[in-house]
Order: sequence, then C-alpha cells, then structure tokens
Amino acid sequence: MRKLIPALTAILLLGTRLSAQDWTVPDDRKGRLSTFAFDDETRKTGQKLYTANCKSCHGIPGEDNWLRLVPPPGDPASEKFQKNSDGEMFYKVVTGRGQMPSFRTVLSANEIWALISYLRSYNQGYVQQVMQLITSSAYPDAEIRIALAWNSADSTVDISATAVSEKSSVAVTDAEMQLMVQRRFGHLAVDEPRNTDSRGFVRFRMPAGLPGDTAGNVLVMARFTDEETFGSAGKDTILRAGMPSFNESLVAPRAMWNTARKAPVWIILTYLGGVLIAWGFIMLVLLKLRDIFIIGENSTLNNK
Amino acid sequence: MNSGSRAKLNTKNNIIPDLMAGTIFKSERYRQKVESVSADILRNVSLNRGFLLWMGFLTAVLLACLYAYTIQLREGLGVTGLRDITSWGVYIANFVFFVATSLVGMLISCVLGLSGAKWVKPIARIAEIIAVAFAAVAGLVIISDMGRPDRLPYVFLFGRFQSPILWDVTVVTTYFFVSLLLWFLPMIPDLAIAKDRLPGRPAFLVRAYEILSVKWVDHEKQFEILHKAMRILLILIIPLAFAIHTVTSWLFAVTPRPGWDSTIFGPYFISGAFVSGTAAVVIAMYFFRVSYKLEKYITDFHFDRIGRVLILVSVLYFYFNLNEFLVPGYKLKTSDAIHLRELFAGHHAFLFWGVQLLGLVIPAILLLFRKIRKPLPMLVISVVVLAAAWLKRYIIVVPPQAHPYLPAQNYPVEWIVYKPTLIEIAVSVAAIVLVLMIITILSKLFPVLPIQEIAEEEALAKNESV
Amino acid sequence: MSEKKKKPAEEKNLDEILDTSRRDFLKKVGLVGSAALTGAAALYSGYRFEKEKHSGATIKVLTEDNRLVEIPVEQVKDYKPGLKVYQTRGREGIEGKRWVMVIDLSKCRNARKCVEACQDAHHLRPYEYHINTLVMQESKNTPRYFMPKPCQHCDNPPCVSVCPVDATFKRQDGIVLIDNERCIGCRFCMSACPYSARMFHWQEPLAVEGDKERVYDIELNVPHKKGTISKCLFSADRLREGIMPYCVSACPNGVFYFGDENEDAVTNGTTKETVRLSELLEQNGAYRLLPELGTKPRVYYLPPKNRIFEFREPGETEYKEQHNT
Repeated sequence: MRKLIPALTAILLLGTRLSAQDWTVPDDRKGRLSTFAFDDETRKTGQKLYTANCKSCHGIPGEDNWLRLVPPPGDPASEKFQKNSDGEMFYKVVTGRGQMPSFRTVLSANEIWALISYLRSYNQGYVQQVMQLITSSAYPDAEIRIALAWNSADSTVDISATAVSEKSSVAVTDAEMQLMVQRRFGHLAVDEPRNTDSRGFVRFRMPAGLPGDTAGNVLVMARFTDEETFGSAGKDTILRAGMPSFNESLVAPRAMWNTARKAPVWIILTYLGGVLIAWGFIMLVLLKLRDIFIIGENSTLNNK
Repeated sequence: MNSGSRAKLNTKNNIIPDLMAGTIFKSERYRQKVESVSADILRNVSLNRGFLLWMGFLTAVLLACLYAYTIQLREGLGVTGLRDITSWGVYIANFVFFVATSLVGMLISCVLGLSGAKWVKPIARIAEIIAVAFAAVAGLVIISDMGRPDRLPYVFLFGRFQSPILWDVTVVTTYFFVSLLLWFLPMIPDLAIAKDRLPGRPAFLVRAYEILSVKWVDHEKQFEILHKAMRILLILIIPLAFAIHTVTSWLFAVTPRPGWDSTIFGPYFISGAFVSGTAAVVIAMYFFRVSYKLEKYITDFHFDRIGRVLILVSVLYFYFNLNEFLVPGYKLKTSDAIHLRELFAGHHAFLFWGVQLLGLVIPAILLLFRKIRKPLPMLVISVVVLAAAWLKRYIIVVPPQAHPYLPAQNYPVEWIVYKPTLIEIAVSVAAIVLVLMIITILSKLFPVLPIQEIAEEEALAKNESV
Repeated sequence: MSEKKKKPAEEKNLDEILDTSRRDFLKKVGLVGSAALTGAAALYSGYRFEKEKHSGATIKVLTEDNRLVEIPVEQVKDYKPGLKVYQTRGREGIEGKRWVMVIDLSKCRNARKCVEACQDAHHLRPYEYHINTLVMQESKNTPRYFMPKPCQHCDNPPCVSVCPVDATFKRQDGIVLIDNERCIGCRFCMSACPYSARMFHWQEPLAVEGDKERVYDIELNVPHKKGTISKCLFSADRLREGIMPYCVSACPNGVFYFGDENEDAVTNGTTKETVRLSELLEQNGAYRLLPELGTKPRVYYLPPKNRIFEFREPGETEYKEQHNT
C-alpha cells in the first residue's frame, strides 16, 4: 500500500500538468535560513550531493542540459532558480513535486543547506543570511532533546522528546516522528510515522530480521517529519536492534570460478599429476635415447 | 629362429623394428634389401631445385601473410571481422581444424599399429609428420587470435587450473613433443643407414644425420631399448591425443551457449578429427607416391586399406553427428531451435548440408566401392573431405555465436553479422603455409618411409617364402 | 635369472656402463632441477612478498560524514593511490558487502540515460556497452518491454570459470571485475557469458590519448587497453566512495535500485527511497535472468506489469519526442 501512494501521486500530479509558475511555498517557510555559513567546505559537500542526487535530471548547472521532463526540471544556475529564497529552495527539495522526488528521508537538513550553498555559488550577487539560533517555531527558545531506548523483549524502540529551555522542560506532544535505520545508500524508514503522546513518548516497532552488523548493531535515526517546524532536531544512536549478520565472503569456497589459488583440490592434483606423469615418461624415453647413444659409442670403441 | 616364433613376435610389435630378430640383420639378404630400399627412398633426400623453388614460393606467401599479421598487431583485432557478438571466428575454426588433423598421428601409429595392422608400417611416418606439423602450428594459430599476444607468458605465470585454455596449452605442447619423438625414434636406424649413403648432399645435412643417429650401430641391445622406448610413447600418445582434442572441445562445451553446450562434444570432436586426419594422410600419401616416385612402397593396397579406415571413421563421425543434431532437433528447446533452424534451413543451411553430404555421407558411400579406393579417386575425395572438415569447424565455431540468449541490439550491423576480412584470411593462410613448410622440410630432408623396417620386412618375406 | 647368466661378458659390461652413466646423468639432472626449483621458489617468494606487503595492515579512520571505517594503511599515505593500491584493493573488494541491483522493468521507458552516463564515465563509444537497454519480447502474445542489461555479476560466473589467467575474477563483495593489466585477450569469457555482457577493445579505446597519464584503476577500468576485455563493474569506484553506480543515479525514471544484500536494503537511484530488499522482491514477483543456467546473478528484475506508459518503438521514446518539440 505504501508503495502505491507515491506512484499514484506521481500519476495524479502528472495528469494535472503543473506548470513551473504555480509551485508556491507557504509564507512561513519562505524565510527559513541555514544555521551555518556557506564556505568552500559546504560547497564541496554540496557539489558531491548534487552529483549523486540531482544531476541526473537537472544536468550540470549553467550548461542548460537538464532532462526534458514535465514539468521541466530547469537549470539550477538559471535566474528563475536563483530567484528562490533559501527557504523556498529548501522547501522544494524537502517536499518534491511531480517527478521530482521528496528528499525528506534522503538528505538531512544540513545536507540540503550544503546543497543550496553549492547552488548559490552560481549566483554572483548572492549574499547569505545565517540564522543565529536553532529554535523550533513550536517551542521557541527551547532545545529539543530526544532519547531512544531499545526494548529487546518486544523489539520496540521507545522515544521521548522534550523541549528544554533555561526555565522549563516540557514534553513535545502530538508531533509526528519517523524512525529510520541507516543503510549504505539511504535511510530505511522503520514502521509507520507516529505521533508523540501527551508525555512526549512514542513507540516504534522494529521489523523482524533487519540485519545489523556482526553484533547486530544498527544506526537508528529519529526525526520529526515536520522538519520545517522542528528544524534539524533529531537523534542518531547505535542500538543493538538488528539481527547479527555472519555472511561469509562470497569468495570463500573453493570453486571452478574462484582464483587459481582457490581451485578445487582435485583439479589441481589432476593437472599436476597429469603433467608429471606425461613428462616423466618423456624423460624416461630421453634417458633411453641416451642409453642407445652410450651403447653405440661403446661398441664403436670396442671395434676399433 | 624358425618362422613360427617369428610370426608370433611380429604380431606383438608391428611398426616397431623387429628386435629379437638380430639374426636377420646379419644376413646378406637384409643387407641387399637395405641397399635397394635406401637407394629408392634416399634419392629424394636432397636440396634440389624443386625443393628450393617450392620453399621459396611458400616463404614469399608466408611473408605476405605475415605482413597482414603485423597490421593486426598494430591496429588490433578490429581489422578482423570479429566483434562483440561473434568474437571467435576463422582463427579458432582454424585452430580446431589443426588440432583435429594432428590427431591422425595417434590414430595411425597407435590404434592401428598396436592392433596389429601390418600395412600401416610405411605410412606411419607420414602420419607422424602430419601430426608434428599441425600440432606445432596449432599453438601459433591460437596466438594469432589473442588480443594481447605479448602476454602469452601470463598463461604459464598465472595459469588457472580451472580454465580449459591452460590444459589446452599444456596438452598441445606435450602432444607435439611426443609426436616429434614418435617421428624421430623409429627413424634412428634409418639415419644410421642413410648417413653413409648421401653422397653429394650438403655437409650440414650429413652432419645432422650423424648427430641425430645417436651412434646407432644395429646393436641388439639398442634395438631392445628402442623397442621399449617406442612402446612407452605409443601408449603415452593415446591418452594425450584424446586429451588434446577433448580439451579443445571443452573450449566450447564448458560454455552455456546453445550449439556448444553439449555433453558429447569430446567424442564428436575426436571422431571428426579422425576423418580430417585420415584425409590429410591420403593426400600426403598420394603426393609422396607420385612426386617421390615411391609407387613400389606406397601401393594401391595401402590406399585400399586407408580407404577402409576412412569409411570406418566417417561412419563413426556420422553417428556422432546424428546424436549432436538429432537429439536437440527432436526437442527443439527455444535457444537450440533458433540455432538449428539457422543450420538446417537458414543462413548457414547451404554450408551445413554441403559439408555433411559432400564431406561425410557421399565420400563414405563412394569409398565402399573397391574401384574408388584407388590413389587418384581417393585423392579427389580426400581433398573434398579435408576442405569440408575445415568448413565443419567453421560451422561449429561461428553460427552458435550469432544468436545469443539475449538479443543483440543497438550495434552497428557489421557488429552483429560476422564476415571474415582479407587480413583474417591471410593470417589463416599463413598458418597453412607454415604447416606445408614443416611437412616439406620433414619429408624432404629426412627419409619419408622407414628404410630399415621395409628392408627387414622384405628380407623376412623372402626368408619365409623360401 | 637364467637369462642373466647367459649374457655374454660384453653385455654385463654394458649394463654397468649404462647404470653408472644413468646415475651420473640423473645426478646432473637432479642438480639442475633442484637449482631451478630453488630459483623458482626464490622468485615466487619474492613475488609473494611484493604482492603481500601492500595488503597487510588496516587502520581505522573517521570519514567526513562521521563514519568509522577501516582502510588499508597505505591509503593513508597515498592520497592518490598508485597502481598497486588500486590493484590490491580492487581485487579484494569491500569487506562485509554483497552488492545487489534491482531493475524495475515496469518503469523503464528506454531513456538510455543509464547507457550514456556509463559510457561517459568509462570513456566508451556509443556502441560499446557496459550496460545496454534491449527491447524484449518472449513470444508473439507476450508484451514488449524495455530491459536495461548490465553485467549480472553472477555468483557462479561462467566467464570467470574459463579465464586462463585470473584476469577476470569475483570479489568478496560479489562484483566480477576485469584486470586489463592481466587480460591476454583470448575472449573465452565473452564466449562463456550467456548474457552477452562483455565487450572487447577491438581498436584503440576512445580516450586513449586523454587517459595516457592516468593511473589504471581496476575499479573503473580506465584507461582502457586495446586488445583487452571490458564490462560493467557495478561502478566499483563509486561504491568505495559510498555513491551508487553511474547508471543507477543517472536514471530519470526510477528504474534502478541498488544496495547491499547483507543490509537487506536497496535504494532507488532516482527517488533515493530506501526499501527492504526482501520486501521489494517478494511483493513484486522478482526474477533473475536465465535462472536455468545456474549462474546465480546478483541482478534482480521486477516484471514489466502495471506500466503507466505505453510501449513505444525505440527511437520514439518520450524523452526524444519532447526534446524535438
């Protein structure tokens, strides 16, 4: 069912044939700013992320070689693109539209900002504004703290979210959270998104048989789905919540397809034995030739 | 020694010099026979004008063809018609043909020799010459197919026991060496006889005879040792010959390609090899008989006998063909069906039926008639059989590649349909020229028939009849 | 015994001569042989030493994205690895990984972006393929569909079995690679591959001049060499950096998933969505190509059902149509 929804959305969106003009960003999101200053380091990170995630459709910035899709992806270096505020760009990357996927579970907020920092390098007139304080619009002036606990008995992960400020500490209630597990090329969503209860608690069920490392460790990430409200607040923890995996190397067995050193023993022995026997007999024949020679030499000498 | 025990001995070792018959070698009759036989056979051993012209011609052709190979070395295998879809072509077909033809050394010398067929004595050496020449060049042919011939030593440095190529290289080398010994060892007494009977020949040749005759003095003990050595070789060559061509068939049979993926490829190849090898021997016999004027020794009787051998091996090969094509043709599995349709009624049908009928069925039927088993008709048939044998290798190698499991798409058309180029053909011709050169040298500079054995045979025949 | 007694004196003499000379000869042969063996052994141990001194210790380092990884010591010294480092690590592969690719045929519209990205990355001509997209149709009544076809990186690779020199080999992470420093160009592997996944450099490779100064990277197979084999490498160079293969991330239609079987997760190259591999395969009725051959490919296909577009003849794909208007 969950697979169907993005597919259906894609069809519906395609059907309505959205044009580039009507991708509006909610006003409260337009003004979002990066929490760090853009520098060469962030631009470099951004360029890597761009190559891996965006280039296939948007092409190389400034080359105008984007893919002809509907709606058109466009060139990120173009004026139309750069007219977007930082917040607008951030929103569009996070939500996606039409054939442009949502990067919500793919890129972290910091990664998206790094991406934007790279795209801004194509804009000569751009001057960055940096947000000074990490705050959530829902809990101003408070730091969101998230704690994760693994219950091996019933394979669940308990999460508590608290907004801590100088004065007080309150539970983050009724906020939708998503639990994810880090995999090699992305974040695997675990269980459905769930809302925190009145105490700021939420419980996720870990799926059965999810492989971890040899000890069963997995990197678990808790995030608020409403990243615009909660910013990059989240928690990454290594939990022993996975199945220990002991997969031996694929080249371990002796086999026909393995290297010469890992050839089946019988084939090595047959080859070497065959060569030894054949050339042993050839040597024997050569020795006999030598005998013939010696007899001949001897009898010629005797005759003389 | 009475004739009864002699006959017993004879059945035991046929093409091997009669060893215990020390007495015969001291007889005057034997000496006379040696004189007359050696005179007939050694007459041809010379660097005469015909030889020099022929070798000069072959050298010129070889050089022209080698020039084609230098182009291939410089430009890469792109100068051939080979491409990603059909990546093995004329070179590999040529290689299989060479290995196949060289197998006749084993067939004639051992299978027939050990089984007591006396008549093979005079032609055993011819068979070995063919075996040596084709085996030697087979190795070179495979190098011409390599994309990086400079890396040939890697096969020995990093050889994988699991690859049929390592086995092939090893076995071809060994087979060549044993065939060389099988040609050389029985010739030692002849070399001793000949070394004093070559007046007017170049000094180096006489010197070579002297060295190669390894002080042979017709000593009884020498005969005994030679006999033992020959027995070892004759037994050793049988598994080797089976190995050389079975391993060659595995170059194809170990792949999952329809048309190659066959369990009977080993015996199919070996029986086919007997056909092409026997045909090659017949051609050589005819040529030596006529141009060396050896009608007295290579007689109609020999042609009659080898004609029967050719029938036998043709029937055997036909039997394997029947299995190889009828069984998959009966089931018509998707991939096999495409391949077989191409052979039976498609692009290769003309070639396929031509080869099967002209190269196998019709010759076997014709040879059933005694009148056909005469030198000239046999020559004509053998030339057709040998040419068909080459084309058969082409059919085995090329068509199965044209229709891989997954469709060949998005290639330029010349990348899909294989057509041998002139350079490819020239390089293949070079290999054939090289074979002819080796055969010429071995047969012209050394006695082409076994002098000592023939003389002994004739002396004994007189002895017994008396 | 009686025979021996009968032997004349001269023959006894001969036997002795033969015996002693044979002993002498064998002694000499033995000497030469053992000298040769010692030499060979010395050479071999030297070769082994050369080979192994680059594959010994590893070191744990923290990467830019805060992951603790273990890498061979020599990589720390060499920011730009030399040939030997490339060769050693390229032949070993990445520990603990089992790369796997899933191709969703229901999404492939023959945009051929995978082909272009691959040819671009590996410096190939338009008709030299590491990955090719084919028009497939099993029989007259079954549908036509597009099928991207990379190397299947089989777990029982027929191509590797037949290689005479270990030039093509399987790594511990499942990738079948080619060492074009080793390949002798016999093309046995091409004959053995039932998927026609391999290509040969019949002429000078495309970028031979530009790549002249480059150190050969076995995981990228660049620079190419005339007279050697090439084929899909699952972009082993990118996997080492933690990025998905060129073809996977170039697809505009979400056809490719790539990931680690050991993690039971694959990530879509276009949408970047990560899903459970086992679920994806099960829910979509996944299959592998030519399973009857027992090659055990590492590439899975999802059948071309519920396509949201109509099949069009190649050359009239949506992408090209729109490009023209």
